[in-house]
Amino acid sequence: MLRREGIAALVRRVDNEPIIANLGPATFDLYASGDRDANLYTWGAMGLVSSIALGVAMAAPDRKVFVMDGDGSLLMNLGSLATIARQAPPNLVHIVWDNQMWYETGGQPTHTSTGTDLGGVALASGIRNVARASTVEAFEEALDQAIREPGPWFIHVDIEETGEPRQRPKVVVEENLVKFRRTFTG
Amino acid sequence: MHWSDVVVESLREHEVWHATYVPDAINWQVLSKLEADSAFTVIPASREEEAVGIAAGIYAAGGRAAMFMQSSGFGNTINALAQLLTGYRIPVPLFIGMRGGLSEFNEVQVPSARPIPAILDTLHIQHYAPEREDEVQKYVDGAIELAYASRMPVAILWYAQLVGAKRATS
Repeated sequence: MLRREGIAALVRRVDNEPIIANLGPATFDLYASGDRDANLYTWGAMGLVSSIALGVAMAAPDRKVFVMDGDGSLLMNLGSLATIARQAPPNLVHIVWDNQMWYETGGQPTHTSTGTDLGGVALASGIRNVARASTVEAFEEALDQAIREPGPWFIHVDIEETGEPRQRPKVVVEENLVKFRRTFTG
Repeated sequence: MHWSDVVVESLREHEVWHATYVPDAINWQVLSKLEADSAFTVIPASREEEAVGIAAGIYAAGGRAAMFMQSSGFGNTINALAQLLTGYRIPVPLFIGMRGGLSEFNEVQVPSARPIPAILDTLHIQHYAPEREDEVQKYVDGAIELAYASRMPVAILWYAQLVGAKRATS
């Protein structure tokens, strides 16, 4: 399946729930699916997107919080899985688009290409609700369960890259943050 | 009032209800009081940059979080301070327990602590170091207010002059 197919499935299911996107293709594809104030796009601080989402989930316990991570990024911050397990916010849904490569830097294979199982790491870190999907149908099933049932959830998704060109989002980061924050503070 | 109680009351006064941290013995004097107080949520991280990320997320969702670390872990935060807090203009009060100064016994603490003020200057992050207990409130209140007014991180550095030096245990 493709990342953008998964994003389309997620976006169909949200109202004002926040979606926090990892730098690179997750941010590009989320923006391309339609900009919304409750989208937070990241552009740097690689690895920290799940940490940011943990903070959002803890400060806004009454909303489901979705974060879209990548395999190369999560490999930089595996400790985040242990921290999420320790805090165990029931409203956090951590999705990892795993293309087995550092896509933005030329497609170098990441450690998931040689057998590292990020879902296994999540489980061993103490996150009990772990799902894996390789098709849109399986992803939608996991997502619906994660929306219905308390988490934290970790959804590990195997994706393919098509190499199609992407439009760079027209986002000013400060403005993005202010709009995103207003969806919580009114 | 002990300097650590001043910090707790200043956080309360400014509605900074979350704290993220990687522990150190100096900041633990504050954090242990926050943990014992049900008004505060205290979140330990596995690494300093992660603690910065969590604090950023709390602010992004409408809250306020302070971040606590030791000088030896400061280097782990630089990318997050630059690309996340400064890039997005996210205010986070940073409390750094400074090793490597008076009576330091661990020589490798010295080169990691000494450049911190210069690194903060280079990042355009303002920093303050109260040296006497009677000036802690002025500095901590002021740093927190400055952080939220400027929408930038502001650092408070705890040196041995105020908090005492850690002694070698063996």
